[in-house]
Amino acid sequence: MTSHKHITIVTDSSLLDHDTGGGDHPEVPARLTSIKEYLSASSVFSKIQYVTPDPATRGQITSFHTESWLFRFEESVLSGKTYIDHPDNQIGYESFELAMLSAGTGISAIDLLEQGETECVFCLTRPPGHHAEANMPLGFCFFNNCVIAARYWQSLGSQRVCIFDFDAHHGNGIQSAFEHETDTLYISIHEHPSFSYPGTGWAEEHGQGAGTGTILNLPVNPGTGDEQVIALLDGPVLELLESFKPEAFIIAAGFDGHGEDDMSGLAYSTNLYRNIGSRIKQWEKQFCPGHVVSLLEGGYALTALAPSVEAYLDGLS
Amino acid sequence: MASCNRTVTRQVTATGKKMFVYYYMTPEPVTITSESTVSEATDIINRHGFRHLPVVDEQMVLQGMVTDRDLRSVCPSTILDPGERKNILARVSRSFVLDIMSKDFFQLQASATIDDALQLFTNHRIGTLPVVNRQQQVVGIFSLNDMMAAYQKLFGLGERGSMLIAIKDSGKEGILGVLAKGLDEQAIECSRLIRSPGRPGHEPAAIYLRVNTCNASLVHRVVEQAGLCLLSPKNPADGGNA
Ligand SMILES: [Zn+2]
Repeated sequence: MTSHKHITIVTDSSLLDHDTGGGDHPEVPARLTSIKEYLSASSVFSKIQYVTPDPATRGQITSFHTESWLFRFEESVLSGKTYIDHPDNQIGYESFELAMLSAGTGISAIDLLEQGETECVFCLTRPPGHHAEANMPLGFCFFNNCVIAARYWQSLGSQRVCIFDFDAHHGNGIQSAFEHETDTLYISIHEHPSFSYPGTGWAEEHGQGAGTGTILNLPVNPGTGDEQVIALLDGPVLELLESFKPEAFIIAAGFDGHGEDDMSGLAYSTNLYRNIGSRIKQWEKQFCPGHVVSLLEGGYALTALAPSVEAYLDGLS
Repeated sequence: MASCNRTVTRQVTATGKKMFVYYYMTPEPVTITSESTVSEATDIINRHGFRHLPVVDEQMVLQGMVTDRDLRSVCPSTILDPGERKNILARVSRSFVLDIMSKDFFQLQASATIDDALQLFTNHRIGTLPVVNRQQQVVGIFSLNDMMAAYQKLFGLGERGSMLIAIKDSGKEGILGVLAKGLDEQAIECSRLIRSPGRPGHEPAAIYLRVNTCNASLVHRVVEQAGLCLLSPKNPADGGNA
């Protein structure tokens, strides 16, 4: 260990330049600045070191995404389009480069862990990734940061990667990347698809073919609070982890399930994120010490987002 | 298959064709003729895992229906002694579909709506209906599963990239127009709008929107600006979602 800090945050101020057009778009740069500001005044600040990422390479991006999507994305940006496929997916001139950088945060985080530079790492990034499919953007997401990180970790020898996703929404892109595979695991707790975007993540989907059993969707109804989530963590989630025995965890850390965040109908408290963080810490100890990377996904109510991230980091460290 | 031979027919209009069974049925189903033997019918039903088989003549005109239950009921019981069982089995396998098929059955015209099918399914506890054209020729089979798939399509269940917003219906005059205008102004694509009077004591009167966006905040704002509020999303098991 070259550092005595316990938490490394991988982020870059240029990520603020991903332009979602202002107006009514909730995925705004202030998400990152409000978290940074809040952390600087918090008790965990003394444990934090900031590190800037390298952008992901084209090859790392195409470990999941198709070349044709990269071209289409690049072309849309160059031609000055303001969104791709849907107004949700707002872009500006820098968005392609910044999506590459956003995907690079997970990769840089893995490098830091593998080199023993840190024990706990959180990627404070945008645009988020878990809705992005191999060939298309969806729900503010362009490149699937978590899947790209998982592929990178696998290339370094950690085959059995588990992505745990506690964002309020189902990570359809992660599921479609993993659902045929035996070596990867996707666990998601999200608002029930009967109500919530993007309308995927049904409990009866367990993976396909050889991948049966490697997807665990735990949809919860609107109004769900802390207790039910903790019961899921200590029940079916832990049970599956014990049989899967992950070699690495990637956490799709979304905070839009908070009661104050109206992007979902969930009613999580700030303190739930502390509990989630401490559960993940326990899993890390039990299964794969030094092999956990968290990436920011959703979280849009700025007053709830920052304290929730702080609580999560506190639980995690 | 019991009861009367009743046909449900509706005039087809150019609009709303999605409401018709024709678009959701399994076309060109496997059929059998009345001269086929019972063992041939059993064979087909077992091979394909069907529970219903339309019986037709050479012109594909529907004559009757034979079900797996009809076939099972003529088979000898397993508790009979082996000799007697063998005799019955031999006799049955030589008998014809004509002898066991139901001549009284429900059917749907190709112009019937999926609501017509729903009526028959729920009122008569049927699981599968043959679909015929005006010449009574079999053109398809429409099952309960097909009907569920049809409603799934109509209501957009599981459509990736969408979400459902449940709104308390104020009953105010012109409220749907206000809501629709608000959605249009914010360029929010609304793919379904359902208004339900609810059921007193069970379900509140509600307006359901399926919108193709993940920007829930923006949709909520439109709802508020229309003077409406979201349905409080309580678990029904926790005392109803009033
Ligand atoms: Zn989310």
